[in-house]
Amino acid sequence: MNRIRNITTLQWILFLILALCCIVSIAFVNQNYSFYDRPIAKVIHTTIEEETDVTDMHGNEDTLFVQQMVARIMNGEEMGREVQLVNEYSSSGAYDQQYDIGNEVFVSIDSKVGEELAGSITDVKRDKYVLLVAWIFVFTLLLVGHKQGLLAIVGFVINVIVLSFALDVYVKYYEVSLLVVCGICILLFTIISLLLVSGRNEKTYAAIVATLVATVVSLSITSLVIWITSGNGLRYEEMQFLTRPYHTIFMAGLFIGSLGAIMDVAITMSSSLFALYERDHTISVKALRTSGIDIGKDIMGTITSILFFAYISGSIPMLILYLKNASPVGFALSMNLSLELARALAGGIGIVLTIPIGLYTAIFFIERKRARI
Amino acid sequence: MNVLVWLAVILLVLMIWVGGKSGARSFISLFFNFGVVFFTMFFMLDSNANPILITFIACIVIGCVSLFYINEVNSKTVIAFISTMITISILLFFIVVVSQKLMIQGFGEEEEEAIAGMSLYIGLDFVKIGASVIIMSTIGAIMDVAISIASTMHEVFKHTPSLSKKELFKSGVNIGRDILGTDTNTLFFAFFGGYLALLIWFKDLHYSIGDIVNSKIFSSEMILILCAGLGIALVIPIASWINAYFLVRTREKLNKVQREEQ
Repeated sequence: MNRIRNITTLQWILFLILALCCIVSIAFVNQNYSFYDRPIAKVIHTTIEEETDVTDMHGNEDTLFVQQMVARIMNGEEMGREVQLVNEYSSSGAYDQQYDIGNEVFVSIDSKVGEELAGSITDVKRDKYVLLVAWIFVFTLLLVGHKQGLLAIVGFVINVIVLSFALDVYVKYYEVSLLVVCGICILLFTIISLLLVSGRNEKTYAAIVATLVATVVSLSITSLVIWITSGNGLRYEEMQFLTRPYHTIFMAGLFIGSLGAIMDVAITMSSSLFALYERDHTISVKALRTSGIDIGKDIMGTITSILFFAYISGSIPMLILYLKNASPVGFALSMNLSLELARALAGGIGIVLTIPIGLYTAIFFIERKRARI
Repeated sequence: MNVLVWLAVILLVLMIWVGGKSGARSFISLFFNFGVVFFTMFFMLDSNANPILITFIACIVIGCVSLFYINEVNSKTVIAFISTMITISILLFFIVVVSQKLMIQGFGEEEEEAIAGMSLYIGLDFVKIGASVIIMSTIGAIMDVAISIASTMHEVFKHTPSLSKKELFKSGVNIGRDILGTDTNTLFFAFFGGYLALLIWFKDLHYSIGDIVNSKIFSSEMILILCAGLGIALVIPIASWINAYFLVRTREKLNKVQREEQ
C-alpha cells in the first residue's frame, strides 16, 4: 500500500514539474521578442486592396491578392512603432500566405519617411505553435503511454541531441568522414533506443547485435547495387539542401532512416522468442525457428509498408507542382521519387534481412543462456 | 540495369525466401499501396476536388488492401479498420487547424532553387495537400497499432472470456504501450534519415536556433514527426475502447440467446 502511494506521489511531482515547464516555456515564447535580432511585428490591421484572377501558361487558374497591413513592432530600436506592410499572396499558397490580425512576422524595414515606416515580411514567427504542438504531443504520449510514453519521449530527445552533436563534429572537422560519424551514431542510437524500449536484459542484447549485423549487411547490399549499376536511375538533382557531396549524405540518410524499422523487427523477434523460451525452457531449436519465421512473416508486411508510406508521401507536394507545370509524368516521377523509392526499398531489404538475422541471434543467446544453466 | 529495379528484385527474392507465399503477398500489397498513393496524387491535381476528401477515400482503400487483403474480413480487421478511420478523422482535423496557424503549407525558402522557374499559382490548396501528406505518412503505423491491438485483445478475450469492459480496455492499452515505443522509433528515424541533408544544411549555414525553429521547412518537419507520434498514441485508447465495447456486446448477445434457449 505504502509503495503504491509512493509511486503516485512521484508521479504527481513529475506531473507538476512538467506542467510548470509547460507554462513557463509557453509564457517565454510568447514574450521572447527581445531575444531575436530580426525585427518582429504583430499585425494589427489588414485590408485586401486588390484581387486578380490569373491563368498561368499551363492553364492553371488562381487568384492573386494584394494585402495592405499595419503592424506594431515588438522589439529592437523601433519598438512600439507602427509599420506599413504589403503582402501579395495566392489562393493556393504554395510559397505565400494570407496574414490575419494577431499574426507575428519577421520584417525588414525598408524605408523611413518621417514617422512612417514601411517594410516587408521575411518570415513568420512559428515558435509558439511548434512548442504548443510539442507539448500536446508530450502530454498525449504520457497520458496514453505512461512509462513507455515517457521513455519514447526521452529516447527521442537523446537521439536528437546525439545526432545534433555528431553533425556538429562532422561540420567542424571536414576530414571526418560522414559515414564514420553515422556509424558511431547508429551504434549509439541502437543501444540507447533498445535499452530504453526493453531494459537491460538478454533479449535487448540479442536485439542490439541483430540490429547492428542487419544494418551492416543491408548497407553492403545497397552499396554493392549502387556500385554495380553506378547509380543508374537515381536522380540526385532533386535532392534538396545540398552543401556537401550528395552521395555520402544520401547513403548516411538511408541508413539512419531504416534503422528504426530494423530495430523494431529485431526487438519484436528477440522478445517473442525469449517469451517462448521463458514459457518452456526445454523448447527445441527447431520449434523456436518455426515460430520465429511465423512471427517474422506477420510483421514483415506491416513494417515495410510503414516505411513506404512515410517516404513516398513526402514527395506528393513537389510531384503535384511538377505535374501542374506540364512535366511529363515519367520525368516528374523519376526526378522526385527515385531517391525516396530507393530509401524505401533499401529499408525493406533491411527489414526482411533482420528476420533471419534476429532469429539466429536470439537462438544463439538463448542457447548460451541454456548452457549456463 | 536501374538501381531501383535491382533493389526491388532483391527485396522480392528476400521476401519470398523468408516469408514464402505471404512474403509474396506483402510485396504485392506494397505495390498496391504505392499505386494508391500515386492515384491519390492524380486526383489531387483537379482543382475542384477537395484533397482532404480524396485522402480520406485513399485511406479507406489502403485500409482495405492492408487489412482485408493481407489478413481477411473478420471482426478483428473490421474493428481495426474502424479504429484507424476514427483516429485519422480526429488527426486530420487537428492537422488542418495547426497547419493553418503555423503557415507551413507549400515550400520553404530553402527549397527556392528546386521550385525556381515553375509556376506556383496552380489553383490548389496547399494547406489541405500538406495535411493529406501528414496523414498518408502515418497511416501505415496507425494501422499497424490498430491491428495488433485488435488481434491481441481477441486472443485475451478467448482465453479469459469473463473480463469486464474496463479490464479489457486496460489490457488493450497495455498492449498498445508496448508497441508505442518501437513504432514511434520507426517513424522518427525514417524522418531523421530523410532530412539529414537539411540538418547538415542548417549546420553549414550557421542557422541560429531561432532561425531553425521559425523556418517553414523545419517547423513543418517537426509537425510531421509530432503528428505521427500523436496518431500512434491516439489510436491506442480508441482501438482498445472499440474492441472492448464490441467484445462485451457480442458476449451479452450470446448470453441472451443462451438464456432464451433455456
